[in-house]
Amino acid sequence: MKKRNMAAPLRLNATSASPGVASGPAYIAEPPTAAALSQSAVSGHAELAAAIETAIDELQKLATGTDAEGGDIIDFQLEVLRDPTIAEMAGARIDANENVVFAWVGTLDGYIRELESAEEEPLRARAVDILDIKNRVLAALTGTPVKDFPAGSIYVGKDMEPSRFLAHDWSAGGGIALYAGSAAGHVALLARSRSVPMVIGAGRFLTTGGQHIRVDGDAGVIVLQMDKEGVAPIRPELTASKTVPAEDNGVLQTADGRQILLSINLNAPDEIDGIAAATAAGIGLMRSEFAVTSLADAANEEKQLAIFRRVLDWADGRSVTIRMLDVGGDKPLSGLATSPELRGIRLLLARPEITRVQARALLRAAIFGNLRVMLPMVTFPSEVDDMRQIFREEAAELARRDVPHRLPSIGMMVEVPAAALMLEQFEGADFFSFGTNDLTQYLVASTREDADFAAHREKAAQAVLRLLAYAVKLAGSKPLSICGDMAGDPRLIAELLAVGIRHFSMAPAQLPAIRSAIVGLNAGQTKAAGE
Amino acid sequence: MSGGLHIGNREAEQVHARCQTEVEVKHGVGLHARPSVTFTRLAKSFPCSIEVAVNGSDVWLNGKSIIKIMGARIRKGSMLKIRADGILAEEAIRALKGLIERNFDEEKKHGRTA
Repeated sequence: MKKRNMAAPLRLNATSASPGVASGPAYIAEPPTAAALSQSAVSGHAELAAAIETAIDELQKLATGTDAEGGDIIDFQLEVLRDPTIAEMAGARIDANENVVFAWVGTLDGYIRELESAEEEPLRARAVDILDIKNRVLAALTGTPVKDFPAGSIYVGKDMEPSRFLAHDWSAGGGIALYAGSAAGHVALLARSRSVPMVIGAGRFLTTGGQHIRVDGDAGVIVLQMDKEGVAPIRPELTASKTVPAEDNGVLQTADGRQILLSINLNAPDEIDGIAAATAAGIGLMRSEFAVTSLADAANEEKQLAIFRRVLDWADGRSVTIRMLDVGGDKPLSGLATSPELRGIRLLLARPEITRVQARALLRAAIFGNLRVMLPMVTFPSEVDDMRQIFREEAAELARRDVPHRLPSIGMMVEVPAAALMLEQFEGADFFSFGTNDLTQYLVASTREDADFAAHREKAAQAVLRLLAYAVKLAGSKPLSICGDMAGDPRLIAELLAVGIRHFSMAPAQLPAIRSAIVGLNAGQTKAAGE
Repeated sequence: MSGGLHIGNREAEQVHARCQTEVEVKHGVGLHARPSVTFTRLAKSFPCSIEVAVNGSDVWLNGKSIIKIMGARIRKGSMLKIRADGILAEEAIRALKGLIERNFDEEKKHGRTA
């Protein structure tokens, strides 16, 4: 593609995806192999067998030094781990192409339910022992670990998986240079929130591992440096804005006295560290796919509950909107192979084994704060109704088991044009939140992977605003917010106010800019797009 | 026990056989957790397949599966059919029947009942 003379330092034009400048040795990402992408059934069997062996070893270590009573319980658990029927059933699920973690969880859950509904107390009492075994093996089934790269280096590749970004330690600096990629993609989103410089759309260029490379996320260029002695590594600049964030609970007023709410978007759960909850009205969007980065996590109810609870504790009574797993499409979940069109709620309804685990974790988390559950990529009202049914069923199941829980309010992302245009028909949704990134993508017939998407988005802003104006009217009196990138763009705030949006959710770094944009505006006097 | 067969002594012990018995569970202990563990562990020590049917049911359960045995709701007075198929089938049936008749050796363990 781009043939260059490698003897001289060269500048490659790319597109900025996250500001700041970083330099360091290049790390060339290997393209994922077919074997790594499609886990074979054989490796699934081996993986489960190894995890069960790990659990057996742990239990046997526990057994030494326990009393007779404890020994009996461990004996029972060991016998369950060696149960040929369980091995057969889990094996059959793996053969049927079910992922190993869900094959295990699904098999054990079946028995747990059976035991819990037994009339005999001694049988019911055993359910908790099997639950314990389920979680012990699940903990050993860590899924395929993501290969990390050296701290401080510049990641070079066609694209980058969000899980790889999350697994990496960025405290030593470093940056990202992608041949393809997207400024609206999820890694770009993460990079901006962590102030990791990133450029995309560079086209394939030649580097060798360890070669000195500089990523300029401000100018959107990559500099391949030949003499690495001459260049001192530049630490990425931390976000310049040093304004003390206002602790107004995200409640402010426009010049003409309209109340506006500002919330924050959350990706990785640890992003709340260092942010005072009082600077926002709450979390307008927590993308749970960043808390659930592997199928093993997706199967782990306790782990998800702990993460959700931590965020609810942080919010201290403020509203926390957690979006259910939005994977598929450009956001693959490691270990889960799906077709590109199967994403968002379509995938959740097609894979109830994943959805029910998350629904239970959310139902249980709801008692710890002001939780709202948001459904991704909804197109039709029946999808919301079907998900409500799943929540009702899981709530009934938890009630039967005396597990504390509460049914949270359930709303939806408005990010598919067909849904936005028919919003009054979504009776099952308690609230709406506009996801303008996808809405724009589907309006302009562009994919996020397309490096030109940023340009399309710019040009399409008026079309999106007109659609939003129409949808806001259809939403009636239901709570309404916006959580896409548009909400964090100060240039668009006046027009968003004009279409009737009063609740904005954005990356924490955008709060000061949006706050100052809003207080000078008159919500009532601005004109709506297309009027 | 292998008198009529024209095979050597070592192979005689490995003879592939089918064997079945019926035994009544006479003690209140039933087959709850600990007795179930004792039963399936003993069953697993034999190479042959071992299946159990309770109270005349025609559903044969894997006798090496703790989940199946425990879920079978075996009580005092339950009639257990046990059948074995494969190597050491006769010995397996004898041993398992003996275990049930001895009340799963529960008296030996901690002197507790169910």
